[in-house]
Amino acid sequence: MEIKKTAIAGTLESSDIQLTISKADNGISIDLQSDVKKVFGDQIESVIKDTLAKLDVKDAKVKAVDKGALDCVIKARTIAAIQRAAETTDTPEWEVL
Amino acid sequence: MQLLNLKDHEVFREWKEFLESLGISNFQENELAQIDSTLGMYNDAGSLVATGSVAGNVLKYVGVCNKFSVHGSHFNTIISSLMNLLAQNDIFHVFVFTKLKYSQSFQHIGFNELAHTDLGAILETGDTDVKDYVHRIPQQPNQADLQVASIVMNANPFTLGHRYLVEQAAAANDLVYVFVVSDDVSLFSTTERLALVQAGTADLSNVIVVNGGQYMVSYVTFPAYFLPTPDEAITYQTTLDARIFKNAIAPGLNITQRYLGSEPFSRTTGIYNQVLQKELAPAITVHVVDRKQASGQVITATQVREAIAQNEIATVQDFLPVTTYQFIQKHLTTLQARIQKGMTIHGN
Repeated sequence: MEIKKTAIAGTLESSDIQLTISKADNGISIDLQSDVKKVFGDQIESVIKDTLAKLDVKDAKVKAVDKGALDCVIKARTIAAIQRAAETTDTPEWEVL
Repeated sequence: MQLLNLKDHEVFREWKEFLESLGISNFQENELAQIDSTLGMYNDAGSLVATGSVAGNVLKYVGVCNKFSVHGSHFNTIISSLMNLLAQNDIFHVFVFTKLKYSQSFQHIGFNELAHTDLGAILETGDTDVKDYVHRIPQQPNQADLQVASIVMNANPFTLGHRYLVEQAAAANDLVYVFVVSDDVSLFSTTERLALVQAGTADLSNVIVVNGGQYMVSYVTFPAYFLPTPDEAITYQTTLDARIFKNAIAPGLNITQRYLGSEPFSRTTGIYNQVLQKELAPAITVHVVDRKQASGQVITATQVREAIAQNEIATVQDFLPVTTYQFIQKHLTTLQARIQKGMTIHGN
């Protein structure tokens, strides 16, 4: 799936994560900010990367501000942001869930 | 969370009293006029506990009462709501000016500080940042070995005075960046100003003309350049502008020199020049070049704009490169129509 424009999903509230996904031309880059980055940073990034891979996104710039989100929340917010950024919200790919 | 209609006197009074109780006191007409939307959060008792506004891509009037909330939760809620509101309008690159003590709170939710002074800080967040901006500017392969100079100008329009400043810099340095002010609030549009600077310097092979973006003399960093402002605020804004240039722009481009035109007329630009000299040293050497004269007069773009308004452009032909003069001749009626519609020709 191709990222066509910048999109945002999620909030900065406790237990949530705010994801901003925008266009890129050389692979995936993730700028993660989290109070628990030392312990869970790799895990959070891998959930985002896996979700991007499942939706076949090869190039994207991701900014993630984590407020202690669980994996399922990270996944949901990533899917929402990708679908908004790829302008496919009218035809969501449910099977990746 | 709801949108507040500040035009409603009762809503405005409550909003203003709430912010005043938190130490925010600037409710000047020209500040308020810039607000696009305002959000408010109420508690169960129906009183305001948090608010924030957006003006373009700048967050303003953010105030949060933490008396009855888990520390920071109202703040995070109001900021994410503002960002989602901006996202609906396709605005993803967001700035905020804040008191120094709140800089940390913004950094905690993904903002990066661009610069600060004792009075306040400016931060940004979103899908692009100052690193991307610098990265997009063309560089020479051996840039690290070059002596690189810079000039920031509005060029409204590009005159022989601007040209003289560029020539001085081009003769004394290997490479010169001319940053053209990006905000579209002048008589000549940004596209026109950029094109005229490009056309007027095309023969100088070591000059690169770039859009100054939101980081140099922009409505975001330096609103006083465009709006009447007290001296103290000008000093504060220009200090931030100078520090952003010194810390975030210059290092990535190996800029070590900055050229300024001496400023006998504009008070704002006069203060700006003083602050630049104080702030940029020693990393960046500031050169103040005396204004060029033509037929015994100092060249200013203000006179050119006046001549356009008076329909006497022949009187300023000596002030202008051929490219700018021809452009004005060709578009005289368009420019005059803009002035008639209320575009100011004084100020910057």
